[in-house]
Amino acid sequence: MKLVVTKTNLKNCLKVIEGVIKNDANLSILKNILIDADGDEIKLTSTNLEIAITSVLNGKILEKGKTTVLFDVFFNIINNLQLERLNLNLIDSKIELITDNYSAILNTQPVDEFPIIPKIKNDKEFIEIKGGILKEAINQIISSAQTTETRPELNSVLFLFNIENIKLTTTDGIRLSEKTIPNTQFESNFENKFNILIPLKTINELNKILNEDDVLKIFIDENQILFKTQRFELISRLTSGSFPDYEAVVPKEFKTEIVLNKEELISAIKLTSIFTNKTMGINIKTNINKKIIEIFSQNQTIGENKYILQSKIKGEEKEIIFNWKYLLDGLKNIKTEEVFLGLNEENKPALIKAPGDNYYFYILMPILSV
Amino acid sequence: MEKEELKNLWKKVLGVLELQISKPNFVTWLKNSALIEIKNDVWVIALPNNFAKEWIENKYLKIILNACREENPFVKKIEFVVDDKYFQKEKSDEILEEKPLLSFRVDPETGLNPRYSLKSFVVGSSNELAYNAGMAIIKEVGIKYNPFFVYGGVGVGKTHFIQMIGNEILRIYKNKIKPRYVPSEKFTNDIVWAIRNKRMDDIKKKYRDVDVLIIDDIQFIGGKEKTEEEFFHTFNSLYQNNKQIIISSDRPPQSIPVLEERLRSRFEGGLIVDISYPDYEMRVAIIKNKLQERNKNLNEEIIHFIAKKIKRNIREIEGVLNKILFYQENKGRELSFNETEEIINKTIEGIYKKVDEEQIIKAISKFFNISEEELLSRKRNKNLVEPRQIFIYLLRELAGAPYTYIAKKTGRDHTTAIHAYKKIEEEINKNSKLYDKILLIKESIFKE
Repeated sequence: MKLVVTKTNLKNCLKVIEGVIKNDANLSILKNILIDADGDEIKLTSTNLEIAITSVLNGKILEKGKTTVLFDVFFNIINNLQLERLNLNLIDSKIELITDNYSAILNTQPVDEFPIIPKIKNDKEFIEIKGGILKEAINQIISSAQTTETRPELNSVLFLFNIENIKLTTTDGIRLSEKTIPNTQFESNFENKFNILIPLKTINELNKILNEDDVLKIFIDENQILFKTQRFELISRLTSGSFPDYEAVVPKEFKTEIVLNKEELISAIKLTSIFTNKTMGINIKTNINKKIIEIFSQNQTIGENKYILQSKIKGEEKEIIFNWKYLLDGLKNIKTEEVFLGLNEENKPALIKAPGDNYYFYILMPILSV
Repeated sequence: MEKEELKNLWKKVLGVLELQISKPNFVTWLKNSALIEIKNDVWVIALPNNFAKEWIENKYLKIILNACREENPFVKKIEFVVDDKYFQKEKSDEILEEKPLLSFRVDPETGLNPRYSLKSFVVGSSNELAYNAGMAIIKEVGIKYNPFFVYGGVGVGKTHFIQMIGNEILRIYKNKIKPRYVPSEKFTNDIVWAIRNKRMDDIKKKYRDVDVLIIDDIQFIGGKEKTEEEFFHTFNSLYQNNKQIIISSDRPPQSIPVLEERLRSRFEGGLIVDISYPDYEMRVAIIKNKLQERNKNLNEEIIHFIAKKIKRNIREIEGVLNKILFYQENKGRELSFNETEEIINKTIEGIYKKVDEEQIIKAISKFFNISEEELLSRKRNKNLVEPRQIFIYLLRELAGAPYTYIAKKTGRDHTTAIHAYKKIEEEINKNSKLYDKILLIKESIFKE
């Protein structure tokens, strides 16, 4: 194998596959990456046996071949190289890395020890979507997923394909968010609806390496999923199990509807949260006559504070306690200047969305007062 | 073939394979694998992901086949399937509890949980009397038995019973009669909150402006003076206006140690009934009812087995049932008898741990309101006789102490100890008051 590549290209390529390198793996080959220049392209692959990422490296193949090399050392060298142009030559079982003023010789491990990357059987049907659209959707729903692995189905993103739209949903049992992507924003030749659970780790990894202007194709098998762009391929297992039936929990109407400036609300919450105690609860209290809401919190050892916000309110007077962090998580996902807050009884979920937006919502349970 | 057999068979095969494959490779590729089916000499192996499947099919098929043939020479073929449900970590109990967002919700107006319905309430000999009284109250709210005092041990269904009355009243009278359910702890908290925020009037309104007040676990307000006083006034105000009052407790009014006399006498003015532990048939009915509620099925044998094994607490039954259903769902098949037994035993073990005499002494002296020295002294005061006998009884019953030891401990000779034990053992079956007392003491021991 003989290759000529640029440092920048190689570095970018390594960054794409960096995330799934497992430096504490039992199997030492998992600390390696596969450099495959057997075909017309140079491909770099890494895997942790749950996810595998292959990225395409632009460069010149002088002589075909493939090998595996320790990622850590390789990446370190490339990161610190001064000159752009470099040669990679495989000589026997060593790889030689040469620039005009530097050279290194690295040991390799046999290629046949590297895991075989599974293939997707169904390569006819797929979804095609712009990276930017998917990234925005992921960013809006990711905060309400469960981060621990006790319940794999909640440590995942529900991906619901309904032909006319795609719904992405996450919940940790206290919060839930759902994003709808209408079929004007993607293309697909899947004929049937389906729903799958994509592990949170996979979604995070994808979100990290996906660019706004990538065109992403999504392929699905019985228990795996492939995300493919011109730059990379990411294949991952899917979570088995079923997502809770959440439709019934989503409030359809509200006793109290509030519309107010989002930034003001965020700064009010940040300020009042200083006084909260361990439960992280802040009270939201409406005053319909004065057209304001009061946000206050108290802590026996510190004291208490109150913030008053102008707002449009419709419905009943309410006083409800929320976890301020969860409230902020929801507000951060709203892109408009104003935000809609729908409240019900003090033990029923509240809903946050952009006024008039039917494509995204975030619901959360209040903290029950004692 | 039974799951256990498959498991053991596969274990043997893995043992052979472990010798042939390097440790890291074995751990990575084969440790998470399971033999799930043998059909016509085709062995089906489950693997956690496609990586493992690809790898094993390409690299290890031959040696696995050979290893399998050592166990069974007729193996024709090995098939691999990807199914990670066999390898997901054993989930902790914590998640058996439903998360708030997705569970039943309590009605904030009444404090009642719709889950506790008449339909799901099982009537049997242990709660028949209470049930009939409850039905009479529903018919004539506030007139028939007022106040209505229900007591019984932990997990006999008191809360279900009194909430059921509230829910029924709500259902029958719609909005004409307003019930409110409150655990006494919440009542106390409300009072504390009101005092701190100077909003006593709100609380008065909240509790006096109802037609049926249901208070759960009243024994907890004993000794909290301000709460007792507020409750007393609330009680009077409701009672005078012919509003129904329903109270539950884990013991009869006269056994709540620090309850004010005026409250006690008021409780005793109405109807007092007890609910005792459900008998076998009732337990079976309860299990079936719970299964129906959840739309689940369970083998008849297993139902009877659970009912036989768990004799008292309904909550324990529910806990075990939850666990069994959970495992069943997780494994995607019915559990075998042995597995069920294991789950039940594990659960029970946690509850009935071994007790030592210190705990018994503490519990008895607390219950009878006497000092620990008095209990162990030789004084012949009348009020010490019963506690001492119960002490001897429990020492033998729970801690398994020999008579000679008991005699030494209590400063008597061992015939006295034998006599005391026999006496209580006999009495316990005849005298339900004594039975209740001992039950309560036992509960407080196990609670710690």
